Amino acid sequence: MKFITQVVAIVVAAYIAQLFFPWYSLAVAAFAMGYFFKSKANFLAGFIAIGLLWFVKAWWTDAVAASDLSARVAEILMLNNKLLLMLLTAFLGGLVGGFAALTGSLLRYERKMKYY
Amino acid sequence: MRLYKFVASLAITLALVYGLDHRWEVGGSPIPPLGRFLDPFQGFWHNLEPAAPHREASLSIPGLQAAVTVSFDSLNIPHIFAPDEASLYFAQGYITAQSRLWQMEFQTHAAAGRVSEITGPGPQNAVLDYDRGQRRLGLVFGAVKAQQAFEGNPQTRAMVEQYTAGINAYIQSLHYADLPFEYKLLHYAPEPWSNFKCALLLKSMAQSLNLDDKDMEMTTALKAFGLDNVELLYPDREAVSDPIVDKPGGWKFNPVTLDSVPSALPPELIGIKKLPHADPTTGSNNWAVSGSKTASGAPLLCSDPHLNLSLPSLWYCIQLSAPGVNTLGASLPGAPGVIIGCNDSVAWGETNAQRDLEDWFKITFQDKTHAKYMLDGNWVDTKKVVESFKVRGTEVFYDTVLYTHWGPVTYDETYHPESNQKYYAFRWISHDASNEFLAFYKLNRAHNYADYMAALDHYEAPAQNFVFASTAGDIAMRVQGKYPVRRALEGKFVMDGTRSANGWQAFIPFDQNVMDKNPARGFVSSANQIPADATYPYYITGNSFEAYRNRRINTLLAGMQHVTPADMMKMQTDNFNMPASEGLPYFLKALDSMKLSPTEKKARDLLASWNFINDKTSEGASYFECWFDHLTPMLWDEMTRIAISYPTTYQTLYLLKQNPALPFFDIQGTPEKETAKEVLQKAFVKSVAYVEAWKKEHGSARVDWGDYKDGYVGHIMRVPALGVHVKAGGNHDIINAHSRTHGPSWRMITSLEKSGVKMWGIYPGGQSGNPGSAHFKDMLQPWVDGQYFPIPFLRSSATQDQAISFTTQLNPVQP
Repeated sequence: MKFITQVVAIVVAAYIAQLFFPWYSLAVAAFAMGYFFKSKANFLAGFIAIGLLWFVKAWWTDAVAASDLSARVAEILMLNNKLLLMLLTAFLGGLVGGFAALTGSLLRYERKMKYY
Repeated sequence: MRLYKFVASLAITLALVYGLDHRWEVGGSPIPPLGRFLDPFQGFWHNLEPAAPHREASLSIPGLQAAVTVSFDSLNIPHIFAPDEASLYFAQGYITAQSRLWQMEFQTHAAAGRVSEITGPGPQNAVLDYDRGQRRLGLVFGAVKAQQAFEGNPQTRAMVEQYTAGINAYIQSLHYADLPFEYKLLHYAPEPWSNFKCALLLKSMAQSLNLDDKDMEMTTALKAFGLDNVELLYPDREAVSDPIVDKPGGWKFNPVTLDSVPSALPPELIGIKKLPHADPTTGSNNWAVSGSKTASGAPLLCSDPHLNLSLPSLWYCIQLSAPGVNTLGASLPGAPGVIIGCNDSVAWGETNAQRDLEDWFKITFQDKTHAKYMLDGNWVDTKKVVESFKVRGTEVFYDTVLYTHWGPVTYDETYHPESNQKYYAFRWISHDASNEFLAFYKLNRAHNYADYMAALDHYEAPAQNFVFASTAGDIAMRVQGKYPVRRALEGKFVMDGTRSANGWQAFIPFDQNVMDKNPARGFVSSANQIPADATYPYYITGNSFEAYRNRRINTLLAGMQHVTPADMMKMQTDNFNMPASEGLPYFLKALDSMKLSPTEKKARDLLASWNFINDKTSEGASYFECWFDHLTPMLWDEMTRIAISYPTTYQTLYLLKQNPALPFFDIQGTPEKETAKEVLQKAFVKSVAYVEAWKKEHGSARVDWGDYKDGYVGHIMRVPALGVHVKAGGNHDIINAHSRTHGPSWRMITSLEKSGVKMWGIYPGGQSGNPGSAHFKDMLQPWVDGQYFPIPFLRSSATQDQAISFTTQLNPVQP
């Protein structure tokens, strides 16, 4: 549950940050949410959150686009098709998101308390 | 341990962000900053527009002086209505930049020799070499003078300043997300626009139209073949009819004559690997039909300039309206006003005049320092200009260019030094100050023939054939430019630069330029052919003059009555191959059937029944063009060896028929002596084998001309993935002059009706410069298919037109 909350928090924070700030603001967002919503798999949360956000955003942009530019960019980057380009987009975003979330979580010191 | 983990993770995160926010080069290929570029919020994905992108109904723009209304039609052509001229040109700059900013800047960077600032030096320094060539040809040198000229006139100064201010207002409004796609891919940002960039754009056009000189090649030919052969193979005037103006004995004026002795013919072979020059198939058509021959009784004017076809498109269609002006047509992104178009009363269009307006002068330096050179018996100081190139990713490159009385020394021991250690200075008409913007400013406002003539008095370079028609019923043609008065053979070869008398002594007075008004035949036309009949009293030499499109156009127009715009559309897309109609019957007769294989016989029969039409589905066209393309290098192998151009298609066919035993036809390096007949046979066999191989490679039983030609419209950044292949008819020497990469870059037809001028047009591309826009190439396929769009010509901003899809208001920022 904590994991899902963290993923959602990163998606929301990164989405808002990216509306106003350069792309790397997602790292700050993931970092903060990694800190505040620390889970057991912080890298994975950041990777999935940003990967998903970037993939969906890229996919949707392309789905309503009136041009074949994404396929042409895929060709420029020597990828076979635009799906691979979307996956590369998601992967790179996810990588940054993952490490940023991990970094944030590592900043948080959690005392190991035993209540039982 | 926890701290180490944190530091390591932070370091990886920062390294990733850094790495993905920087441009890298891997094995010489640049990679954009991938994180920034692929960011779906602000990276290139943001440049993918939906079919109906959100647009603001009003914009507040700092610097704009009064509110301007801009209506866009379904092709996204802006129709701009402004309360005064200042706001009009400001809005033109702003709106054009909105669609074409990257292209505008890139073209002027290319003109100024600054491409390596964006791309780096290129493989084997090819980009830097190009940039140096631009400076050494004096494009910047010429642009500085052009800027002085248009800033010296209050009207053009205000026009260009406002246009520049409009572009800059747009640039200042941009954030990374809004940058054109190409900036993101190449990872750089636009710099402020300037009046100087408008001047550079003029020089860039002059370069693509007028920089195709053959002086060095002809000098080499002179040494290798002798003067008689040069005149036989490369005559100034081919034995062909239909000059632009044909009135033998009708030139009633006293021509300017020169007393001085012309330069002696040069004795050298020149081995320079020349800079790329204008494509010889670059040409254009224009014509106007008098109301006496049209169905409506109003004149029709047609214009289709042929240029390198590229994306974003060369032209940007626009309507400009303010008190005193209402003009519609094709503009050049980066230049204010309309270049080819119409207004309420007149229409005009240009084709290239092809005249030789560039010369090369051999320089004799005093010593190796090049500090002084010989001129009229004295050692004169050379001016040394140090050009700097801020090559991306490396150090600044400095290049010293020597300027002489004639102009810059383009080639020397530091630049293309293959020239046997000779030095040649470049003299180009576009190095001189002239104010072409004033000519277009006035043309945009012309009411009648007298206004057109007065406007053209300001037009000097590059020389163009200006066709004209008015609602008053006049049609006219004027071969306008600033032409030096030349002595016989002057300008055909390189000249001796030690005597100033070898240079341009005088210019042909403008009223003695070739022109015609309301001729009895009921039409005027030009298609890059020789301007006048042989009785025109000035020596004319050109780079190459057209000999087919002109005759085809005149034949068709002479045979027409009750002409309609639809007839004109059919004519602009006419695919009749006149060289084939004149050459092929002779070619086929030369073939020896006994020696042909069954496949070759089939090809011969196919050609024998071909109708000479280069339609995209024609197989005959493919076989013929392939045959001819194999024939010329075999006929003219002597030229290949010394790297000079072949004689023209016309002269080749002429000599084949007139003189089949010409020694040049013999193929060097074969023991036997070939005449025209044997070479035709050999070329035929080769070409059929080539076509068979093509079919095999393409897995096709047919060889349709559109597939075989494989028309290509490339992106000006030369990224193959952004280019488009088209299957189209036509070819060079055909009215529909669409060769593989060149062709009609804007087809326009105007009807000069008193009740309102009408326009139809199309160009191979689209109004948007954004490859992610629906309007990037929406006109390309209709262009291939020979379709036209009616271009709405609105009387006022209140005019209702169903083609108008969106209107936006540009407002000044209230203080």
